[in-house]
Order: sequence, then C-alpha cells, then structure tokens
Amino acid sequence: MDAQTSLEHAATGITDERVVEVRGLRKAFGSNVVLDGFDLDLRRGENLMVLGKSGSGKSVLIKCIMRLLQADAGTIRVLGQDVLTLDQEALDRLRVRIGFLFQSSALYDSMTVEENLEFPLRRHWITRDPKQTDALVDEVLNAVGLPQTRRMYPSELSGGMKRRIGLARTLILKPEVVLYDEPTTGLDPITGKEIVELILKLQRAYNTSSIIISHDLNVAKLAANRIIVLHEGRNHVEGSYADLRASNDPVVRSFFIFM
Amino acid sequence: MVRGTAAKVTSVLRDAGELMAFAGRFFQQAFHKRFEWREFFRQCYINGTLTLPLVGITAFIMGLVLTVQSRPTLERFGAASMLPAMVAISVVREIAPVITAIIGAGKIGSSMGAELGSMKVTEQIDAMEVSGTNPFRYLVVTRVWSTTLMIPVLMVISDAIAIWATWIGVNIKDDVSWGLFYRQVFESLEFSDFLPALIKSYFFGFAIGIVGCYRGYGTEKGTEGVGQAAHSAVVTASLLIFILDLMAVQVTDILGLN
Ligand SMILES: Nc1ncnc2c1ncn2[C@@H]1O[C@H](COP(=O)(O)OP(=O)(O)OP(=O)(O)O)[C@@H](O)[C@H]1O
Ligand SMILES: [Mg+2]
Repeated sequence: MDAQTSLEHAATGITDERVVEVRGLRKAFGSNVVLDGFDLDLRRGENLMVLGKSGSGKSVLIKCIMRLLQADAGTIRVLGQDVLTLDQEALDRLRVRIGFLFQSSALYDSMTVEENLEFPLRRHWITRDPKQTDALVDEVLNAVGLPQTRRMYPSELSGGMKRRIGLARTLILKPEVVLYDEPTTGLDPITGKEIVELILKLQRAYNTSSIIISHDLNVAKLAANRIIVLHEGRNHVEGSYADLRASNDPVVRSFFIFM
Repeated sequence: MVRGTAAKVTSVLRDAGELMAFAGRFFQQAFHKRFEWREFFRQCYINGTLTLPLVGITAFIMGLVLTVQSRPTLERFGAASMLPAMVAISVVREIAPVITAIIGAGKIGSSMGAELGSMKVTEQIDAMEVSGTNPFRYLVVTRVWSTTLMIPVLMVISDAIAIWATWIGVNIKDDVSWGLFYRQVFESLEFSDFLPALIKSYFFGFAIGIVGCYRGYGTEKGTEGVGQAAHSAVVTASLLIFILDLMAVQVTDILGLN
C-alpha cells in the first residue's frame, strides 16, 4: 500500500486487519459454474463493493460467505474463523457478528415490524428481557428513521421502508461486518441515495466493515472505498471509483452505459 | 408419445422419491430437543380455525343429504328404522375422515405451499437461518406436527356434526326423539368402526402437512413458483389421501376389522 492510500485510510478509520478473506472460491450448480476462483479481502472499517451484472453470482458470493450456500472449493475466513469447517453452534455464534441485508429485505410477513426486529435477539439468545428488547428496538427504529412503523406489518410498508426495516433488523445485533445484497435495487434513485446515506451513517455510528454487492454505480460512487468487478466467476478488475471511471476495459465500460 | 410418457413417469417417480427424502428429514428432526412450541401452537390454532367452519358446514350437509337420499332405498327393503345406524356408520368409517382430509388438503395444504413458497423466494427462510434458527425445525416440523394432530380432532368434530345432521334428516319425515336416535346409532356403532378411521386420519393429517411443506419449501423460480407450489400441494395431498384410504381399507380387511 502506498503512502497516499495509507493516509486516506487512516483518515477514514480503515486498518490493515482483514475481517473477511476469501481465497479461490468456487461454486457451481450442476454444470453452471458461477464462481471460479474468486478472491476477496475486506479490511476493518472498509466499504468494499463487488460490482457485477445480473446473474454474475454476486448473491451466491455473499451467501457462501454466510454459509447459506456451501462452497465447492476455496477458503473463507471471517473474523479469523474458517467458515467452511465450523460446526452449527460456532457458525451461529459467528453469524451474530455478521449482518446480512437481503436483496428482497426478507421481512417476515406474518410478524409486525417489532416482532421482526425482536426475532434475531430472541433466537440468538442475546436478550429476552422485555425492557432491554424494547430499548434495542427503539434504538434501531430511530436510527433508520421509522419509529412510527413499530406495530405495522411488512405488507403495509413501501419498498424503501422495508429496506430500512431490513437494515434495522440487520443492525440490531450490532454486527462487526455487514453484507449488503443490492441495497438500492428496485428503489427509485432518490430513495436509493437515502438508503446509501443511511448505510454510511450507520456504518460510522456502529463502526462496521461492509461488503456491498451491487450493479448500481451510484452506490459505488457514494459509498465504496474500493471496488472489485466480478466477471465470469473471477476478479476482473479492482480499484477505486475513479480508477474504474478512467478504465478502458470493455467489461468495466459496460457499467457506465447510463452515466 | 411413448418417450413423453416415460419422461412423465420418471419425473413423477423422482418427485415421489424426493418427497420420501423430505419426510425422512422430518423424522430426523421431529423429536429434536429444541422444539418450537410457540410456533407449533400457533400453527395448531391457525390450521384448526382455518378449516373448522368449512369442515363443520360440509359435515352437516353430508349427514343431512346422505340421510335424505338413503331413506327411499331402505324403505323399499322395509328397513327405514336402520337409517340412523347406516348413515352413522358410513359417516364415522369413511365420510368424515375423507371429507375432513380433503378439505384440509385444499385449505391447509394450499396455504402452506403458498406461505412457505413465498418465504422461500423472498429469502425469509435464509433470513431465519442467519438469525440462529433452524428453518426446517421452525417451519416444517411444527407445521407437519400440527396437521398430524389437528386433522383427527377436526374429524371427530365433523363426526359429531354429521351425526347431529343425520338426526335432523331423519326427523324431516319421521318423528324420532334424540334419545331414541342416540340409542339406535350407538347400539350399532362399534369402537372398531371408529378406531381405524381415527388412525387413518393421523396419516391423512401427516400427508397434508408433509406435502404442503415439501411443495412450499422446494419452491424455485420466483413468484410464479409460489402459485405452482400451492396448486401442486393440493393436488398431491388429495391424491395421497385417496391412496392412503385405499391402503387403510386393505389393512383393516386383513386385520378383520371390516
Ligand atoms: N439455489 C440455486 N440453485 C441453482 N442455481 C442458482 C441458485 N442460486 C443462484 N443460482 C444461479 O447462479 C447464478 C448467479 O446467481 P446470483 O443470484 O448470484 O446472481 P446475482 O449476481 O446476484 O444477480 P442479480 O443482480 O440479478 O441478483 C445464476 O445463473 C443463477 O441461476
Ligand atoms: Mg442477487
């Protein structure tokens, strides 16, 4: 790392400690090879973005990191632990420290917003004390700016509101690492920008490191410290937003079509 | 044509195999010490109340119609006094268990297929996994247990309603007191009429739950898959109920209970 970037990182609170390390990740569904030797490093405090077109395997990548999908080959270390070999109990303990914002928000339809937020607390045995639960729910609802939705059902919320509640549910466990699966997809640009700003605000407040998966260059521009382009299952290019902007690579250019 | 049929048969057999594997997974988890009691009771309540009105109305109509329609035949043989007993026996042995199960397949099976299907495609099942919850135990085990235990309860209720409707049916033409009717019914009705019906209704309940969950849990291909899951849950569960019914009659025959 050169002196310039070191300085930048010091200013943004990025350290050299690696919180996520992926090496040679391979995942295929039958004959459909989705990831074929993908590498990734996430440093503490960093916002790493993985850019890839639809169907390139972005969701598959972070689901492998969370072990929602079993990788075929390679190694994945998160917060110093080898994800692929953990037993169920250790995996659950690790998952408390990793937040996951789902592409579709994934709020439980049969539960109110409040119950949605309490669910991870109760299930991970963080707390069952009603007062403490209440306080935590209040805190995250205020953090995402939706305290009035507490008793509502997900079906009564707009897409942007669902995304915010999804974010609140992710943050209620105070994760050290957060994986965002297309946080702005399906939202209008204004709401999308609000979500990105919220992510950045919460990131500072909760001091998280994140991997943001997207094909949205606005996210790249606003939030990413570093960008990896995922193409044909591998790391295609890596760099800052300015680097990609200046690139002549046809794959990279194709993301700038509308810019 | 032949190849098409062969392909269909293969896919049906594969489907059956996968359903068996799914049931196997259920039994592996069914007695796990971390049982989701809260969700189980919620499912019992939902599945019970969802189906009870329809089961009740159908049982009432079945009892009434069967009585009215059987009367002319029995009268021709001068056996009109057999009416209560005859209807009660067919209700207890066959009508109530099968009607309850078919309605259960339609109501519970389809709603489970749709609910779990949409949970799958909107990643709610993954979200549970991330929240330290085994989604199979939380969603599938509780639902299958609840239908297995609730369908027999519903069947007993529909027995009672259909027999009461029979009394009303008898009284359209005759004047039979409840006391007399009651004696006529329960003198001919034996425990060996009731027991096989009760046992098979547990199997029916299990079939509804396992098929509904299997279809929902295995949903792919986004939102259109959800409708498909609901639909095929009803079709498969109904078919399975009739197959089980056929097997049950063979078994009771062999055991000499017919
Ligand atoms: N559970 C699965 N079973 C089979 N194939 C899958 C599964 N999940 C993903 N795939 C396949 O993996 C490939 C990558 O899917 P993925 O969901 O990771 O794409 P993505 O990059 O997230 O796209 P999008 O931007 O549309 O969300 C696709 O070809 C998809 O068909
Ligand atoms: Mg995706």
